[in-house]
This record gives sequence, structure tokens and C-alpha cells, in this order.
Amino acid sequence: MTTPVTERPPKPRNGWKAVAVLAVIAIITIWAGIGVDADLGDIIDNWGNATGKLVQLMQPDYWFFPETVDAILETLQMAFIATAIGAAISFPLSFAASRVTNPNRAMLAAVRAVMNVVRAVPDLLYAAVLVAVVGTGALSGILALIVFNIGIIVKLVSEALDSIDRGPQEAALAAGGTWIAANRSAVAPQIFPAFVSQGLYTLELNVRASAVIGLVGAGGLGMLIDNVRTFYKYHQLSLIILEILVIVLALEMLSSWARRKLVG
Amino acid sequence: MTVIDRTSRSTPARPRRPRNTVRTAVWVSVVAVFALSLYGIEIRWDRLLDLPQNLVRYAGLMFAPPDVSALGKAVSATIESVQMAWFGTVLGIIVSFPLSFLAAANIGPVWLRWPLRVVFAVIRAVPEVVIAILILSVTGLTAFTGALAIAIGSVGTLGKWGYEAIEGAEKGPIEAARAAGGSTAQIVRWGLWTGVAPEVFAFWLYRFEINVRASAILGLIGAGGIGSMLVDNVQYRQWGAVGMLLIVVVVITVIIDQISGQVRRRIIDGQWGWQRKARTRL
Repeated sequence: MTTPVTERPPKPRNGWKAVAVLAVIAIITIWAGIGVDADLGDIIDNWGNATGKLVQLMQPDYWFFPETVDAILETLQMAFIATAIGAAISFPLSFAASRVTNPNRAMLAAVRAVMNVVRAVPDLLYAAVLVAVVGTGALSGILALIVFNIGIIVKLVSEALDSIDRGPQEAALAAGGTWIAANRSAVAPQIFPAFVSQGLYTLELNVRASAVIGLVGAGGLGMLIDNVRTFYKYHQLSLIILEILVIVLALEMLSSWARRKLVG
Repeated sequence: MTVIDRTSRSTPARPRRPRNTVRTAVWVSVVAVFALSLYGIEIRWDRLLDLPQNLVRYAGLMFAPPDVSALGKAVSATIESVQMAWFGTVLGIIVSFPLSFLAAANIGPVWLRWPLRVVFAVIRAVPEVVIAILILSVTGLTAFTGALAIAIGSVGTLGKWGYEAIEGAEKGPIEAARAAGGSTAQIVRWGLWTGVAPEVFAFWLYRFEINVRASAILGLIGAGGIGSMLVDNVQYRQWGAVGMLLIVVVVITVIIDQISGQVRRRIIDGQWGWQRKARTRL
């Protein structure tokens, strides 16, 4: 069967732009590759060495479990405390960081600038510095997580605030309410589900993060990871990873269920 | 004639406050878990009292003044971290791109789809540092190891975001391409990809922003970059150098976020951020 051949529409002439973008990306990638000494040869050379370790990793040492219980509990406690405190601090701050709820432009700009700086520092760096300031242990971890949480929650919630329905707020202002009263009674109820859902999301992030910040001495599973990895106990490391995996997946399921309930 | 009860009209009784037992129960349990956590955790609370004073003291040591002689090292460490992040992101994109199509419900076969999704979920659950510790034995303690760990970590999120975007693609163009007799490859290229491309590009950039932070962390186990320099200086209590490093990290990260945010906005909205008045800069 033959189909009638009609003339093709002209191809949009955008080719050179795509080529230019690709070229720039390729150049940066090569520069980065040289910077990190990318070498596939190394991997192939070490492959024999690696397979042995990988086999070890596939066989978790389940008898190690009793020794990890305390660390797991500590990780969960740290994550929960940090999320609760971080969320409580973030809620009013989010209102100060949104154009919609904060009429004071100078304060808005100041809050946003500070939040940008807070977000730019990775959680583990906070932990490393705080461990030096307050000493090793769960306290430094909790403090680091709180700062990290404020950065995330304020950004997400203030963005949600930027796009809410302003009608109720206008009504409250027109009825003679102050900005704080209007925000409290007309905006807060609208944003609360989003706030709780972001809080749950940060709880997930925190469990993952608190498993790691222990690497610098901030308590929890991370400290255990650091112990077993310095002695190359791969069977035990493998059990810890398995535990993190189970906790994070369970929490993810729980929070996605809770979020569905919240929205639906 | 009915008597109008004027008093009750002018001050109607308030409607009863809605009582929500479920909500109350949730609040009570949240507070309970919080209290239990506080009670159960071993913390030396007395240290909290010294915190404000200590913070001021260390802030003074770090930033008043920062050790300017460490500027060069701090910049090169940060650049190394950024290189690690970029290279890892690109590798992650190359791997996750085809996989996310195979994991999408409207393209991939079922027997491949679910295993892939499980792999993504498992990767997402494991922090990059742990991935790096795992692959250390293959590649040694180098920046390349960090880049590989970031690449693997990125596959988890990019794969998931990718297949979700692909599944959410508009049906119209796909049907049109199919009706015009396109092969599967042609349908994907011209019916599906054109619609989801902006979203996917934005995810890539966003993941790069995340990876810049992740790469800073990887140095703590010795993979080079910001983390390595930080650990060395904290260990020898060179607070001025730590302060300098933190300043450089913040400045470079904020610059990268701004550039990346502008490009994302250009991709999603079709115009640069500064061309829109309504949107204030973040």
C-alpha cells in the first residue's frame, strides 16, 4: 500500500543551539572528568579485589543485630526529635519567607537570604562543626539535623504559600484583621496539610541523614558504620546497610500512606 | 403572629466546635513519641546550656577573621567537589535515562519494570556516603570513587522521577504518533519525549544541585574535595581555615543554585527568571 507523499513541514532551525549546549556540557564534563581522575582502567584492575568484598557484603552477619539495636533506636530518636523541633521552628519562619504572607519587603529579603545560606551548607558539614563545638554524641547530631530541616521545610512550605488562594486572607484583612491574625486564621489552615506532608518527607530524609552524620561522631547508626568500616568488617557493614534499607523503606511507605490520607 | 426573638438573632449561639477524634489521637501520639524519644536518648543536656556561648566563641574563631591564606586551598577543594558532582551527575543521567523509559508503565515490559523500580528504591534508601564506602574497594579512596557513588545515588532518584514524568505524559501526541504509523521508537521520540523533556531536564539540574552538596559530604570519608579539607582542619583545630572554607562553600553553592535555578526556569517557563516580574528571586 502506498501512502501519498506530501511535502514535509520545514524543520525548525534550532539545531545550532542544541549543538552549542551539548558542546558546553561535553567540555564541562571532560574538565570534571580530568579533575576527578576518572579512570576505568582502575576499576578493571581492582575488579578481582572487589568481587571478594561484594561476596562478603551479600552475606550479612545477622548475629551482629543485638549490638545494633541501640544505634538504630538512637538514629530514630534523633530523627524524630530533630524533625519535630525543626518543623515547629520552620512553621512561623515559612510565613516570614513568603511574599504572600509577609508584607514587610525588607524582612522578607533578609529571611530569604539567611535561608539560602543555611541551605547551601550540607548537613554533614553542620554535624562536623557542631561535633567540635558541643562534643561527640547525639546532641550535636540533633542540632545539625534541626538546622538542616529548617532549611528544607522553610523553602518547601514558603513556596507552597506563594501559590495559595489569597481570597480568605484578603477577606480577613478587609475585615480589619492584622497580618498575623489574617495569616493565622485564613492562611495557616490552607497550608497545614502541605506543611505536615513536608514534615513527613523531612522525617524520611532525617533517618537517612542521621544514619550518616554519625560518621563524624554525631551519634546513631553512622558511628557504628564508622567503627565497622575502619576494621573492614564487611559482613557487619552489610547488616547495617540492610537495616537502614528496611527502616527507610518502611518509613517511606508509612509516610506516603499518611500523605495520601492527608490529601484525600 | 410569630414572635421574633430578637436577642437570639443578634447574638446567635456559636456553632459547636467540630471535634475530630482522629486528629486529637494523632497529635497525642506525636507528642508521646516525641516525649519518649527525648526521655530515651542519651544526651548530656548540660552541654546545651553552654551552646550559645560556645557558638559565639567558635564563630569568632572561624570568621573573625577567617584565614585568608587558606582561600586558594578552599577554592580548589570546592572546585574538586563540584567536578565530582558534575561528573557523577552526567554518569547518573547516562545510566538512568534509558532505565527510566524501561521502568515506565506505558513503555517497559512488566518483567523489567518492577525489578527496575525495586533497584531505584533500594538505591534511594542508601545514603551516598554508604555507597562510597561500598565501592571503595573497587576504585580506592579517590575523587573518582566519589563521582561514581554520586552517579549510583543519582540513578535512584533520576530513575524514579523519570518514569513518573513519562507516565504522566500527555496522551494526545502519543496517540497521534501511533495513528500516523510510527514505530515504538518514533512514538517515544516524537510523541512522548517532546512533552516530558523540559521536566526531565529540570530534574537533571535539580539533582546536580543536590549532588553538589552530596559531594561535599563524600570528602569526609576521604574522597577529596570540601569534606577532606574540612576534616583535616577540624582535626587540627584550624578554625580560621574552616571559616574560610565554609564561606567559599556557601558562596559557590549559592552561585550554582542561582545559575541552575535560572536555567531550570528558562526550560520550564520558556523565559529567564529576570524576565518575569511577578516572581521574586529566591
